[in-house]
Amino acid sequence: MQVFLQTLIGGVTFGAVYALVAMGFSIVYRTMGLVNFAHGSVVMIGAYAASTFYMASKLPFAVAIIVAIAVTALIGLVIELFLRPLENKDFTLMLIGTIGFGAVLEAGAVLIWGATGHAVPSPVATGPIDVAGIRIPTYSLLVIAVAAAATGLLALFLQRTKRGAAMQAVAMDHQAATACGIHVGRSNAMAFAIGAGLAALAGSLIGPMLYVNPTMGGTLGIKGFAAAMLGGFGSMPGAIVGGLAFGLLDAFAAGNFQEYSELVTFLVFAAIVMIRPTGIFGEATVNRA
Amino acid sequence: MHFTRFSIAAAALIALAACAPPGQSGSTDANATGPIKIANVNAQSGQLSSLGQWEHKGVKLAIEEANKAGGVNGRQIKLDLFDSQGDPTVGTNVARKISAEGYIAMLGTAESAVTLAMAPILKDAKIPNITSGQSPKLAELKSPFLFLNAPTSVTFDETLAKYLVDDQGKKKIALISNNGAYGSGEHDAFLASLKTRSVTPLADEVVTPDQKDFNSNLAKIREQDPEVLFIGAEEVQSGLIAKQARELGIKAVFAGGAPVGTDVYATTAGLENAEGTIVSSPYLSNEATPEIKAFADKYKAAYKEDARMHVAKAYDGASILIEALKQTKGEGGQKLADAIRGVKRAGLLGTYAYDANGVGIHETKIGLVKDGKVEPEAAS
Amino acid sequence: MKRLLWLGPLVVAAWLLPYGLGGYAIHVADVAIIFAILAIGLGLTMGVAGQINLAQVAFFGVGAYTVAILTTQAGLGFWTAAALALLAAVIFGVLVGIPALRMQSHYLGIVTLGLALAFTNWVTNAHIAGRAEGISDIPVPPMFGVDLSSGYLFYYVELIVFALALAFALLVTRSPLGRRLRAMRDDDLAAGALGAEIPLLRMTAFVLSGLYGGLAGILYAGLIRFVAPESFNIANMFLLLAMVIIGGRSSILGCVVGAVGLSLVREALLDASGFAQLGYGLVVVLVVVFAPKGLAGLPGQLRTLLRRGGNGSRAQLGPFLPYDAVPAAAEEEVLEIREVTMRFKGLVALDAVSLTVPAGQIRGIVGPNGSGKTTLFNVVSGFYRPSQGSVVLRGDDVTAMAPYQLSQRRVARTFQNLRLFEDLSVRENLLLGLDRTRTTWIWRYPGLPWKVLGYERELRRRAEALIERFGLAEVADAEPRSLPYGVQRRIELARAMAMEPTLLLLDEPAAGMNGEEVRRLAEIVRSIRDSGVTVVIIEHNMGLVMSLCDQVTVLSSGRVIADGRPAEVAVHPDVVAAYLGDSMSAPTEESAEAAIEEASR
Repeated sequence: MQVFLQTLIGGVTFGAVYALVAMGFSIVYRTMGLVNFAHGSVVMIGAYAASTFYMASKLPFAVAIIVAIAVTALIGLVIELFLRPLENKDFTLMLIGTIGFGAVLEAGAVLIWGATGHAVPSPVATGPIDVAGIRIPTYSLLVIAVAAAATGLLALFLQRTKRGAAMQAVAMDHQAATACGIHVGRSNAMAFAIGAGLAALAGSLIGPMLYVNPTMGGTLGIKGFAAAMLGGFGSMPGAIVGGLAFGLLDAFAAGNFQEYSELVTFLVFAAIVMIRPTGIFGEATVNRA
Repeated sequence: MHFTRFSIAAAALIALAACAPPGQSGSTDANATGPIKIANVNAQSGQLSSLGQWEHKGVKLAIEEANKAGGVNGRQIKLDLFDSQGDPTVGTNVARKISAEGYIAMLGTAESAVTLAMAPILKDAKIPNITSGQSPKLAELKSPFLFLNAPTSVTFDETLAKYLVDDQGKKKIALISNNGAYGSGEHDAFLASLKTRSVTPLADEVVTPDQKDFNSNLAKIREQDPEVLFIGAEEVQSGLIAKQARELGIKAVFAGGAPVGTDVYATTAGLENAEGTIVSSPYLSNEATPEIKAFADKYKAAYKEDARMHVAKAYDGASILIEALKQTKGEGGQKLADAIRGVKRAGLLGTYAYDANGVGIHETKIGLVKDGKVEPEAAS
Repeated sequence: MKRLLWLGPLVVAAWLLPYGLGGYAIHVADVAIIFAILAIGLGLTMGVAGQINLAQVAFFGVGAYTVAILTTQAGLGFWTAAALALLAAVIFGVLVGIPALRMQSHYLGIVTLGLALAFTNWVTNAHIAGRAEGISDIPVPPMFGVDLSSGYLFYYVELIVFALALAFALLVTRSPLGRRLRAMRDDDLAAGALGAEIPLLRMTAFVLSGLYGGLAGILYAGLIRFVAPESFNIANMFLLLAMVIIGGRSSILGCVVGAVGLSLVREALLDASGFAQLGYGLVVVLVVVFAPKGLAGLPGQLRTLLRRGGNGSRAQLGPFLPYDAVPAAAEEEVLEIREVTMRFKGLVALDAVSLTVPAGQIRGIVGPNGSGKTTLFNVVSGFYRPSQGSVVLRGDDVTAMAPYQLSQRRVARTFQNLRLFEDLSVRENLLLGLDRTRTTWIWRYPGLPWKVLGYERELRRRAEALIERFGLAEVADAEPRSLPYGVQRRIELARAMAMEPTLLLLDEPAAGMNGEEVRRLAEIVRSIRDSGVTVVIIEHNMGLVMSLCDQVTVLSSGRVIADGRPAEVAVHPDVVAAYLGDSMSAPTEESAEAAIEEASR
């Protein structure tokens, strides 16, 4: 039982991070119908940016995160600018273009920060909380709390603000949205910037949990993507549920199948999406055929 | 019509090929006057490139010193760096490249899998290779052209098991290791050492090299309440395991090979969590002996960063090669291999004396991590 | 034969190449050829068949590992192991391809990527696969006393395998199968309506992928004689992807050029691989944005750029040559729709619709927007499975048959919003309609390739006749998207007639046409009917309906409200009411269809 609960804690913590990554995928996808395979690499850049500022300038961690979000949002805008000519044209090409961007970001990180990577000291100094033998690291709680807050703020933004409503409208029908005078291009750029910002948030949070290095984005990207798919691509609640589900799947596979965990995780994942290709919440997207 | 013409041409070509199959005319030995060409092969890109970069710095330092001191019999040594990208296939390409381009010896790589892939080609080309890998499989190859500049995992773990079980009397031991080339080698070697002492581990958890969340594995280990947790993984992962183990309230002492003696391990785990970790390594710290201290100072002056084991063993390997080259007067091939085997040298990692399997060092020392630095264990 | 002449010098050059290369350079060439074979496989699945397959490098690994395991652990000979490895790679290809039956595009990409990771994870763990250190000591492939451990002699083995693999890939792409694969890539619904068995075709694509991956893996095992998990990782998958994209994914020769080129570049930049990675990424991004068809598409792009200066002449449709009239067959009911109801998530698009179409009739179906006309067509042509009721074709119940099955029963249709394959020429669009073979026919590709070529020639001859008949000679080699709307309508009609249907469903064929074009359309449709084809036509142009149709069925809100001769129906009070109330009805049908189409992707 203890093992089960402890596994749960680990799964949920990582699940929260996957959920943030998945939300980044989803907001871009639902608004502009683009799958951004570079997202994992943006997470990595975010992790580097936050940890570098945090450690070099002794800025408070929260400030470092905000700086990182600004950096990655800029990268997001650049990617969007580059791929704009392809929008609504060739889905596969855009997909591959983002894979190319991922490679560029990764190689760039190696050139800037070197291949070694660095450890990030935890911004929370207190020890883990002990609940009947189950240990919950305080940092895990922080991660879950920040992820939840980010989710809430994003929902608020999408539903309560004019900009957010405009993005929702573009997500539903970009032609009708254009007709209503909504600037689709600006809305797309915004989605990309928010997606990249979420990536930075995920990256910054995961830095002190793990170790920051240029290749960390690959695994995070693939798992975040799988999480988004599990929940239902483009659906915000789907991203959260999918993220947690994938985190748990990962954690329990590691516990029960040891070194074969990756094999099991991806086989189970393939089986689930075979049964339900549109994920738990179904795909929420634009039909731009 | 055209087809007949084609087939005639093709037949002619086949005949031509049959008469004189293409190939390289027996490569002339590297001329005995120019610089001596040495290849350093290591990952300069990819996940493990930090190892490769350290290795290269160590090798470069040794070669530059030798060249400054007049080279080998008046000939300078030309060191060229090749990137294996940590990929065995690229490794085999590089092996062919260095044999085609007349390099007479090779230093590296730091990854056993890559070295294993390259070994048969280097053996055929009679190019001696001093590797930084430490997989027992390297020794099992028994290639006369393959030499290790460090002990194999067997030595690391035998020393560790001896210290833990025989000296300290610890019997409650748990294992966690990854299934990569390094981790599985450590796992197998340590398990074998425990077995000879009739100790059965309380838990034996295996993870993947990419895994980041060990809650589940560590919770299982915690249930067994071990005194010692053996970690068989690379630096970063070892650090993550140590950190998460402490967060879970595991009080066991951590033990492991060279990776847990590094600063990367200590900073990843957090200095507090790493405190007291038992390290089995031939190179415990930059202050262990006066020779090592001198080397570390020299290194720091050259590269503005602290020396570490990877640097030291690469330096040792290069120094051994230089010594052997001096004996053969710059000649390569079988002669050079024999010369390397004959080198007896008090290096930074210990005293090198090569056996038939190409292993030069047969012992490691036990150290304890204190405040992120390794200090030799007084008792051993 | 003349077209093959350029091959001559190339073959000679390839054959003589080793004489000019050093020991290492030949090894580089050997590796480049292996990647070229691998890239052909990826080009076939991704470029030609449109299946985003990120597991190609795993197929490669399966081939290499099977050889390694069988030779070193089971003691089999190299070539026996190789044959089994090919089989294993193909089987693995099929397994990885199964998800393609349920999902496409990025979904498929991530699932195949996950399965590739699962493969790497397995070989890293399994003792039989040598775990993380891999398997060394794979024996040198024996070859009648020729020493294949020499990179020079192995080159010739590779060259021959490569030539065969390339020839086969070119045969596939330039024949009915390749055309169907490309049609499936561009529009799988329309391809299905033309008789393409989509599930089987997708699996075929993965079989090809596995085949080429396995082939490359075997050569790899023979050349490197060592396998380890790292050689089949994601980074190499990216490299392979870059090769295919830079070369031009839908051109097999482009893929080869990309693979060989990038292999050489990688070699040249071996000592600067950090920058090389940056370079590949940048080049891929630039190619994607500025040269979407890769190197292979550059000449075409330049040509269009140059042509833009001069003004190209507007394509003209030739006159239609009427079909020979066939005396009307015995009175028979071709199509019978019985009480068909179609619901979409609580929305009733068709409500117990029944109608019967006798042979040789032109039946009009009219009704306000959203009355269920196109839904009815989609039910008849197999796109939708009706919630209730049945569709009977010449006495056989065909309810819920797949589009390709109906196509094989000679039901042809056109689409309201034109579904021509945009990346295929007009001629190829017609060839797709003419090709009536089943997918199982493809065993002839490896077995009797000359039969395939013979069949293709026969198809092309018939395509000429069809082009002539529909007056498309001037536009035969153009891409449909460059042509005026009216011409595209004519092409779609010709494509449907290429299938030699007995029942032809036309969905708003006159939409967007001027008076003269409508008049010509009526002539064509009459001629088609006179040749013995039963025609059902959805149309808003009342003039056309009145003059052309023998009988008219009126739908409103998913129900049949009138049925009879055009003149009778036009004055039917319900019809008048329905049409006057048209502006009030919500466009329910369209939105429901969009939703369903989305779900079926």
